[in-house]
This record gives sequence, structure tokens and C-alpha cells, in this order.
Amino acid sequence: MVSAANKITAMLLACIITIICSSNKKHPDNNSKTGTVTINFINTIKNVPLVLDSGEYTNPFGETYHVTKLKYYISNIKLNAAHAFNEPESYHLLDAAEPSSLSFTIAAAANAYSSISFVVGVDSIKNVSGAQTGALDPANGMFWTWNSGYVMFKLEGNSPASNIINHRIEYHIGGFSGANNVLQLITLPLTTVLNVQEGKTSTITIAADLDKLWQGANILKIAETPATMAPGVVSKKIADNYNRMFTIKEVFNN
Amino acid sequence: MTTRVIIALLIFVCSAFLFIAASKKQNDPYKPTYLKLEIPKGWPQPAKDIFANNPLTEQGFQLGKKLFYDGRLSKDGNFPCASCHQQFAAFATYDHDFSHGFNDKFTTRNAPPLFNLAWMPLLHWDGGINHIEVQPLAPLTAVNEMAENIDSVLKKLRKDTAYPKLFKAAFGTPVINSQRMLKALAQFTGSILSCNSKYDKMLRGEASFTPAEQRGYIFFKANCSGCHTEPLFTDNSFRNNGLDLNPYLNDYGRMRITNDKNDSLKFKVPSLRNVALTFPYMHDGRFYGITQAIDHYSKGINTNQPTLDSLLKKRIAISNAQKNELIYFLYTLTDTTLIKNPRFSLR
Repeated sequence: MVSAANKITAMLLACIITIICSSNKKHPDNNSKTGTVTINFINTIKNVPLVLDSGEYTNPFGETYHVTKLKYYISNIKLNAAHAFNEPESYHLLDAAEPSSLSFTIAAAANAYSSISFVVGVDSIKNVSGAQTGALDPANGMFWTWNSGYVMFKLEGNSPASNIINHRIEYHIGGFSGANNVLQLITLPLTTVLNVQEGKTSTITIAADLDKLWQGANILKIAETPATMAPGVVSKKIADNYNRMFTIKEVFNN
Repeated sequence: MTTRVIIALLIFVCSAFLFIAASKKQNDPYKPTYLKLEIPKGWPQPAKDIFANNPLTEQGFQLGKKLFYDGRLSKDGNFPCASCHQQFAAFATYDHDFSHGFNDKFTTRNAPPLFNLAWMPLLHWDGGINHIEVQPLAPLTAVNEMAENIDSVLKKLRKDTAYPKLFKAAFGTPVINSQRMLKALAQFTGSILSCNSKYDKMLRGEASFTPAEQRGYIFFKANCSGCHTEPLFTDNSFRNNGLDLNPYLNDYGRMRITNDKNDSLKFKVPSLRNVALTFPYMHDGRFYGITQAIDHYSKGINTNQPTLDSLLKKRIAISNAQKNELIYFLYTLTDTTLIKNPRFSLR
């Protein structure tokens, strides 16, 4: 009788312990150490920081122009090492009119990284997965509603060389599939190894030289192509040019 | 003594359960009623689950319905989604080749009906829209349709007293953003099924065809079902059915999306369900009646077009008697349950 009661007591105790344990779900211990990395983008034209509206620039073909709007997506940021680090849900919309958008901080596993990779644009999956939010919110004005997909890169302005309305220049670059997929995977070796350490912040500064837009892989003359606003051959050619516009300006380990 | 210990432990265990249950309720008051899209018997599974990242709930559906009928989604308040997608026309625009939008403008294509969208991988006549959730952005922002912009619509919704509560019921918090608005709309439009026509009832053994309807059905299966495949009455492909280019519209259809000249003049095969309600016909509504549409396939096809569909290289031979029987059959595709269902109506 006593032993039966003891058995029941033991079983009930086991129940209690199970309940207490299951109600206090502990997150699995994460032993990996984490530091932070601030990534700065500086939009330049031949090493001179871009000034919207008032800045007057000349492309390699002697065509002068002003830039009134510059927005592009940087996504799928990856820090490369033997154990690479991929930023989860990595989507950033850079807007030259909003300086705060040009700099962001990510949490990364402590490690020594030798290069950084990212995609200029939004990967194809997010282009076909319905309504998104945050950087990918269609309200950000970077989504085509007639041919679903993100505008990966948008530069607007004006130039005397443009023969369209108000001498406008307007390059809306997009298209995520097929031969005219404009997604550009950029890998930049880091001039100094990026040492991400627990509790510390390292900084990478990347320059984006818009002068590369006009030539490199393909020749883009304003007089010939003042605008493109759809996926296609022209979009692809311009994307192949801006593929070359990114360089590492500085790596700083705190 | 031991009995007392056991009783005490039992009480402790019970109260622990109650406490956990109560604290869970407090932490998570978001209790939507989950729904499941019922696949009608004998239908294929949709190629992808449109609700995979947008769990279908009664609250989400009701919010979507309110948005669908709300004129504030348009610039001047006059053009809710429902202005061009009318329930009595199986959610197409009744009796209009082109629908009317903001500032007396016309659309440039015939408004498609809305039903069975879960089986439609690409939307629009040219398949330009790749997901049901982003579909509303096209009419909402088009200057000849609702002529609005997303931020402006969201501001109007946030000012409303009812919407924050409805968004909270649907999504757990009162936050109103474009993603939630679009997901709610998708829950409403994606739930609209047409599966209760006389044809469906005949298949289920609940009704029987007249001899004329039956002969029309046999003709249909032999001549039309290559594109208008049962049970959805479309295979959702893009095909050139031999219509001459409308010089006012210069609409090359699918080619605008793919940039591929092989897609010139190709348009999505529309479902023939509710075809009696969705006149006028074709992407530009050029045929007012079913008879004219059938005559196109027997007499009108422009056989000189290089991208003409291979199934239509020979026009379809049809006698007057067969034509009448075909029309009798097509009338059996009208789903009066759909057009009268109060679940999809503004009450």
C-alpha cells in the first residue's frame, strides 16, 4: 500500500517537474559570440560625393547631367570566411535623399572575414512571394505593379543631352529572371581583414561610383538612351555597368 | 498521510495547469478563427498554396471584404475594387468592354471575373502579376482606374475608427500597413470559389443535362477543352487565338511581359465558368455576345499570324444547330450560388 502510494507520489512529482520545465522553455544556448558591423555606403561620382539636385556632373561622353533621385537595394549581405556569415532577412533600401538609409548595422558572428558579398537588387524569391513589408514594402516606390517585381536600382535626373520630356533621364532597372536578369552579385575583398569581436563594432565603408554607370561592360549615352523603365536588354546592360561601381573605401576594426 | 500528500500534489498539478493556461491566454489574446480553402471534389490541387504565407482566417477574410467594397481605396472615393468586379457578374464588369475609372477614364482591357484564383498562377490577361497579394496594387495605382497611391490609402484607413480593430482581429495588432491590407484582400478574393453551377451539379449527380446541353457538352469536349480545360475551364496558358490587333490599343499581350516575340498577341485563356455573365468577351471586349465569340472560332480567326495557336490553325467547324447546343452547354456553367452568396456581398 505504502509502496503504491510512493509510486503515485513519484509519478506526480515527475509530472510537476515536466510541467515546470516545459513552461519555462529556455532558448537553446547560443555559444557563438556576436559582434556588430556597421556598413556605410557613400555614393560618389569620380570620388566626389554625390549631391542631389544641384550637383552637375559630366559622363565619359561629355554629357552633363543632374541627379534628382537615387535609390537601390542591397540584399543578401554575406561576410566571407571559412565559416561565412549570412545576414538573415537581409534587405536594405538605400536612398540618397535619406542619409540614414546609407548606413546600417548588422549583428554578425565573431570571426575574421576576408571579403563581403551582397546582391544589388532583391533576390528572385522575394519578387514572387506576394506582399512584403519593411524595406520591401511596395509603398517605397520600388515595385512595378504591372509586371510584378522590384525596381532594383533607380536613378532619375535631367540632362541637356536627353531628348525626352523636360530633358529627363530615368533609369529604372529591374527584372529577376531569364536572360535579362539584372541581379548583380558583388564580392569585394576587404583591404584589411574585418575582425568582428564580441561587444565591439567594426565598420566597412563602401563607395559606389556612379560614373561607372555609363561605361564598363556597355556604353550608355544619354542621347541614345535617356530612359528605361522595364525589364529587358537595356536594363541588363546598365546593371552590368553598375556591377563595377562598388569599391571598399575603408575597413575599421574597433 | 500519504493520501494527503497525493491530494496536495494533485491540487498543485491542477493549479499549475490552470495557471499556465491562464497566462497563455493573457499573453496571446490573438485568437483568429482559422479557415481552410476547400478544394472541390475532383479538382486538381492548386500548383501552389496562395495562403501558405497568409493563413486564411475569418477575421482576415472579413477585413478583406470590407476593403474590397471600400471606395476609399480610390482617389475620389468612387472606385472600390467592387466597382469593376461586381458579384452579379461573377466579379467581372457587367455589360462593359472596358471598365470606367477615375476622371472618366477607361481601362484598356476587359475586367476579368474573380473566382477560383487559387488555381491561377499568373494574373492579368498578360500574366504580368505573379502573386494574388500584389494584384491589387495594379488597379489601385493605375491613373485610369483607382488612381491612388499606397501611402494615401493607408492614411485614410488609419483615420477610420473601425479599421484598426479589424486589423487587430485579423493580424494580432492594430498596425495598418500595405502588407496586411494586401494579404487581407487576398484572403477575400482568394476565397471566392465558383463550383456550384449546373455543370458541377451534373458531375455530382445532383442534376442532369437536357439532351441539347449534353450534345453541347460533347461538342465542347471535342473542340474547346484543349484550352478551356475542365474542371476550371482554363489551362491558364497564354495563347494567340487569332484576333486582329486593335490599332487603338496596340496590345500585344504576353509579349509586353516577356519581351519575347514568340509571345506576340498571346493572352491568358479565360475560364468559361460563368461565361454567360462575363460578356463582352476577349481581352478588349470586342465581342458582345457568346454567338459572336463562337463565330470568331468558326469564321474569324486570322490564320496568317505566326504566333497563332497550333490548335486553331484550322478554324473550328460548327453548324448552327451545334452552335445552339454549345451555347446551351455554356449556360450550364453559370453559378447562381456564387453570384447570390451573401458571404461575398456587402451587407
